[in-house]
Amino acid sequence: MTGAFHSQIRKSLADANLQSALDANSARRILVRKTAFDSLPNAQGRRERAHVVREDVIEHLDSYLEQFITHARENGMIVHRAADGAQAIELVLEIARRHGAKLIAKSKTMISEEIGLNHALEGQGLEVIETDLGEYIVQLRGEPPSHIITPAVHLRRQDVGKLFEEKLGIAYTEDISIMTSAARRTLRNVFLNADIGISGVNFGVAETGTLCLVTNEGNGRMVTTVPRVHVALMGIERLVPTLNDLGLMLSLLPRSATGQKLSAYTSLLNSPRHSLDPDGPQERHVILVDNGRSAVGASDLREILYCIRCGSCLNACPVFREIGGHAYVGPGGKISPYPGPVGSVVSPALFGQLEYGHLARASSLCGACREACPVDIDLPMLLLRIRAGVQVSKPGIKNKPNAPALLAIGLKLFAFTASSPWRFAAAQWLAGAAGLVATFFSRGDPWIHLPKISGWGYSKDFPSPAGRTFRSRYRKQAQKSVIENRRNEFPTEVPVDGQPIIETTPVQEQKGTDSFRRELEALGGRFTLCLPEEVAEKVLQILRTSGIDQLLSWEAPYLPEHLLEQLSEGGIQISHPTVETLKTSSQVRAGITGAYAGLADTGSLVLLGGQGKPLTASLLPEIHIAILWEEHIYEDLNQVLTWKDLRMAPAAVLITGPSRTSDIEMTLTIGVHGPGELHVICIRKK
Amino acid sequence: MTITAQLFVTCIIDTLYPETGEAVVRILEKAGVQVSFPPGQTCCGQPAFNAGLRLQARKMAIQTIRAFGSYPGPVVIPSGSCAAMIRHSYAELFAGDSKWLPKVHELAARTYELSEFLVDVMGITDLGSRYGGRITYHSSCHLLRGLGVDRQPRSLLAAVKDAELVELPETGDCCGFGGVFSVEHPEISTAMLERKIANIERSGADLVVACDAGCVTNINGGLHRRHKTQRAMHIADLLDKT
Repeated sequence: MTGAFHSQIRKSLADANLQSALDANSARRILVRKTAFDSLPNAQGRRERAHVVREDVIEHLDSYLEQFITHARENGMIVHRAADGAQAIELVLEIARRHGAKLIAKSKTMISEEIGLNHALEGQGLEVIETDLGEYIVQLRGEPPSHIITPAVHLRRQDVGKLFEEKLGIAYTEDISIMTSAARRTLRNVFLNADIGISGVNFGVAETGTLCLVTNEGNGRMVTTVPRVHVALMGIERLVPTLNDLGLMLSLLPRSATGQKLSAYTSLLNSPRHSLDPDGPQERHVILVDNGRSAVGASDLREILYCIRCGSCLNACPVFREIGGHAYVGPGGKISPYPGPVGSVVSPALFGQLEYGHLARASSLCGACREACPVDIDLPMLLLRIRAGVQVSKPGIKNKPNAPALLAIGLKLFAFTASSPWRFAAAQWLAGAAGLVATFFSRGDPWIHLPKISGWGYSKDFPSPAGRTFRSRYRKQAQKSVIENRRNEFPTEVPVDGQPIIETTPVQEQKGTDSFRRELEALGGRFTLCLPEEVAEKVLQILRTSGIDQLLSWEAPYLPEHLLEQLSEGGIQISHPTVETLKTSSQVRAGITGAYAGLADTGSLVLLGGQGKPLTASLLPEIHIAILWEEHIYEDLNQVLTWKDLRMAPAAVLITGPSRTSDIEMTLTIGVHGPGELHVICIRKK
Repeated sequence: MTITAQLFVTCIIDTLYPETGEAVVRILEKAGVQVSFPPGQTCCGQPAFNAGLRLQARKMAIQTIRAFGSYPGPVVIPSGSCAAMIRHSYAELFAGDSKWLPKVHELAARTYELSEFLVDVMGITDLGSRYGGRITYHSSCHLLRGLGVDRQPRSLLAAVKDAELVELPETGDCCGFGGVFSVEHPEISTAMLERKIANIERSGADLVVACDAGCVTNINGGLHRRHKTQRAMHIADLLDKT
C-alpha cells in the first residue's frame, strides 16, 4: 500500500460532493443497465458467447491481426503498428508534420490517455482539443478523466458552470442545456477547422477490416468525417473475428456502458473517401498499439485483454463508488489511466506491480464486477493474481506477493499454526484465554474495542474469542449425542434443482413498423407514416414549423422521385454538402437523407455514405429528416450487418435517436454535436 | 439410509462462535443427517489466499484436503465464502499440480454450503423453527455470486414461524468485510459497512440474517460500535430457535 493512495482514499471519502456524485452514478447506471439487459433475449447466453469470442481473439491474436491488417489495407486504410506509446506518438507526429497540421480534434480514446498522447502533441506545438463533452470539461480543468465512459462524473453542474464562465467566457449558469450549447458552438469550430481528427476504436472487424466506433454526442462521427485526415488509435486486442461477432458485442456494449440498446451513433468505417464521394477524410490511418499487451497476453493476466471497455465494473464496484476514479494512484501520486476493478488489473499488468499493484488490494473481492462484466471476465481471480505478485513485464521472475509486511508476517504465523490441528487448537486456547481476560476487564462485555491501528478497530468492535472452542465442546458432546433420524417428521420438498427450469416465454413483440416507431419515439425521435405522394408536404411542414428555408440534402437519385423538385417549388433552397463547402453547410439548420434500412428492435436508421450521399447531411444540422421506406424495416442489426453494401460503403452509420449526452450530472441533454431533432418519414407503398 | 455429513465448522465459528457450531449440528441432525467432525480441520486458507500469500494458503489447503480426505460423504460448511474457496479457488491454487488437483476436484465436488445442502440435497426448507420478530436477509457476496446460492437460504427463512421476513435494500451489496481487505483498507470498508447499516435500518428489521460468520462479525461489530439495537445473526442460530 502506498501513502499517496491512502491519502487519496481519505480525500475522496471526505468530499461530500464527490460522494453524492458517485452515489448517483452507481445507482443510476446499475438501474439502467439492468433495464437494458431485461430487454435482451438470452442475455446470459450472449454473455457466455461473448466471452468465448474474446477468448478466441486473444488466443489467436496474431492471426486475427494479420487478417484485419490485410483487409483494412485492401480497403484503402493506412495501417501502422506501434510497439509502445512512444512509437505511437511518433507516428501521429509524422502524420501531423506531413499534413502541416496545427489543430487536432479528438474524440474520447482511452488508449491516448494510456500513452499520454495529448501532452506529447502539445509539447510539439500542436493544439489538441477533446470533443466529447465530459472529456472537454476535464481537459479544460487540466485533469484526467475519472471514469472511462463518463469522464466528468466527479463534477457537479456548478463546477462546470464556473469552468465555462472562466474558460469560454459565457455568463455563469447552472442550466446544463445552456452549457452544452456553449460547448457545441465552440467545438463546432474545432471540427470545421481541425486538420486531423483522432479517435479510438471500439472494435476492429478482422474479416472485413472495418472500424467500429460507438458515440452518443456525434463527436466521434465529426472527427472521423469532417477533418481531411482521420487517425484511429487502437489497442491490438480490440478485434472481433466477424461482423456477426460485432453484432453480438454491439448488443452488449451500449447496454453495459450506458443502458442503451444501441448508442446514438454506431459508425462503421471501411475506407477513406472514394474519389467521387462528397465527404469523408482523404486519408484514414489506423495505429495498432501494443504497449505491453502482447506481454499481458502471454501472462496469467491475459483474460483482462477480453475487456471491451464498457465501464460497468466501475459502476458496480462498491469501492469505486466510495473513492472515485481519481483516487486510483501510483506511489508518486500519478493517476492510473484506468480506474476501478478493470483498472486495478490493467494498470499493474501494463505498467508494472510497483506502479499499480497495490490497487488490486483495494477490493473486498465481492464479485459485483464480474457479475456486471458483459464478457464475464473473472476479475476477482485476476485481482488475486496481482496480489500474489504475477509479473507481466518480467517473466521467469518468481512472483512476490504484494501484501504489506506486517500482514504478511501475521498470516505466515497463522498459516504455520493452521497447518497443524494441534498448533491450531493450542492457539485457539490462547485466544480463548485472552478473550476471558478481556471480558473480565470489561466487566462481562463480550466486545473488544481494538485500537484504530489494528484496522478493525477503526470503526468496529470485535467479539471476544470463546473460552471454549467448538471443537473442545464437540468432543464432550459427541459421546452423549444420540443421533435421531427425525427427517420424516419434517415436510420435505422436491429439490427445486430437480424440477425443469420454467422458461418464461418471451413476450412476442410485434416487430416491424410499430416497434420501430415505439423505440424511435422513446428516444425522442419523431415518426411520420405517409404515402409516397405526401412526403414533400410532410417535409415542408417540419421545415415551416422551425422557420427553415434551407436544406442540406443527398442528391436526387438517392431520395424519392421528384422530392427535391417539390421542395424547391415549396420555396426551399437545397444544397449538397461537400468537403469544400463544410463551413457554409454548417450554417444550414436542417438536412435530409434517405436511409438504407430501419431496425425495428432499436428504432435505428442505417445510413450508408458514398457518392451522392454526404454523411454530413445527417450530422451538421440541428434537424435531421430521414426518409425510410417501410419495406426496409428489418427486425434487428444482425439481419443487415453482414450485407455487402455495408462493407462496400466507405463509411456507414447506425443512428439511434437524436444526438445526446449525460456527461454533466448524468442529466440527459439532447443535441450536442449532431442533430437534436430526428424526424423519420416512413413511406408506405400503396 | 442415513446420510453422514462431514462438518467443516470454519475457523471463525470454531474460535469465536462455538454456539453457532452447535446450532449447525442440531439443525443438521434435525434434518436427519448424521454429523461427523473430522478433527484435522483448521482453516481453509482463504485469509492467506486473499492476501496473495499462495504458499501459505497452499499449506492450509493441504491440511484441509488431508483432514477431509479419509472422511467420505458431503462436506457441509456454514459459510458461503469458505465453501466457494474450496469449490472454486482451490483449483486456482493448485493449477497445474497433478498431485493435488485430483484431490481438489474430489473434495470440491462434495462440498456444500449449509443452506444449499439442506435445501438442494436434503430437500428440506421447514425445520420447525420459530422466531417472533422482524428479520431481513443479507446476501453474502461469495454465497450469492460465487456459488449462486440465494433461493435456498431465503426459502429456509420463509419457513420460520412467527417471523416477518422483510427485504433488505441493496441486499447483495458487500458489507465491507472482505477478509484482509477490512484491515488493509479500514476507511473504505467502513464506508461500505455504514451503507449496509443504513440499509438495515431502512428495512425496519431488528435482526439481519446471513450465511457467513465473517459478514455477521463485521456487521455486528459495526452495529455495536454505533450503539444500534439491531443485530446480525448466523442463519444456523436462527433456524435453531424453536
